[in-house]
Amino acid sequence: MPGRISRRIIANYIANGLVEGKNKKELVQQLAGFLIDTRRTKELDLIVRDVEFKLAEHGVIQATIVSAFDLTTETTKALEAFIKDKTKASKVSLTNTIDPTVIGGVKIQLPGREIDQTVARQLTVLKTRFKKA
Amino acid sequence: MTFLSQFASETTAANQDLFQALGIDWRLLILQIIAFLVLVALLGKFVYPWLMKSVDERQSNIEAAAKATAAAQKAAEENNEAVAALLAEARKEASAIISTAKLEATEMVSASEKKAQKISERIVADAHEQIDKDISNARKVLYNDTLELVALATEKVIAKKLDKKADSELIESVVKAAK
Repeated sequence: MPGRISRRIIANYIANGLVEGKNKKELVQQLAGFLIDTRRTKELDLIVRDVEFKLAEHGVIQATIVSAFDLTTETTKALEAFIKDKTKASKVSLTNTIDPTVIGGVKIQLPGREIDQTVARQLTVLKTRFKKA
Repeated sequence: MTFLSQFASETTAANQDLFQALGIDWRLLILQIIAFLVLVALLGKFVYPWLMKSVDERQSNIEAAAKATAAAQKAAEENNEAVAALLAEARKEASAIISTAKLEATEMVSASEKKAQKISERIVADAHEQIDKDISNARKVLYNDTLELVALATEKVIAKKLDKKADSELIESVVKAAK
């Protein structure tokens, strides 16, 4: 019986496949089948995170944008440019998530880091930083 | 002598006449005198010495008693003097004790007053300190509550006022500032 394949190897395989331009659907199906077969579906989130890290190493950034409203095209472009500038990535892929609790502004979730410029965050900072013990 | 004999005989004769006139028998009288003398002699020999001795003894007893009384009186006087002296000494000591007690009581009262004053001052100081702490804590609480209120009000106002366009502008400005 072969040994347990580490998460890093799986993430490397998927990331390399995506960079090399392999069929995404096929890669996803392979990963899903493998995880189900090996009963490691609980590791999916961690593997996705590792894949994002590997892709970032290859200059491909998968970013999640959390905002209170839908992003306009101009805003999306501005955010892409901003992320490229910050991460020196060659390609940026954005996923927009709507969360009214952020009130306003934007939260950019990148592999390994997060840029929170939401109004909710600013208010929290206001409350915590200036609060007296 | 003749004269005397004659006188005696005349006297005797006269006496006899007198005794007879008085109804006295001179022989009986002589006998009575002799009996009296014998009685006196017997009393002087046997009774008087004993009686005198008793009297002397009684006298000596009385004198001794008088002396004892005098001695006792003297002793009593001396005792009275001693008692008076002792009383005077006792009064003096009592006075000294009372004075000392008064002084000590005064000192104790003074010390108690000082102690009470110190305690009251400390209580007042503690109370002031506690009040200051309470005020400080109240100010902190008020400050924090105000902060919370401001944040909440800001949140509500921004949530109402912010629309998609304004949010886009906000995001772009944030991006520009971050660059």
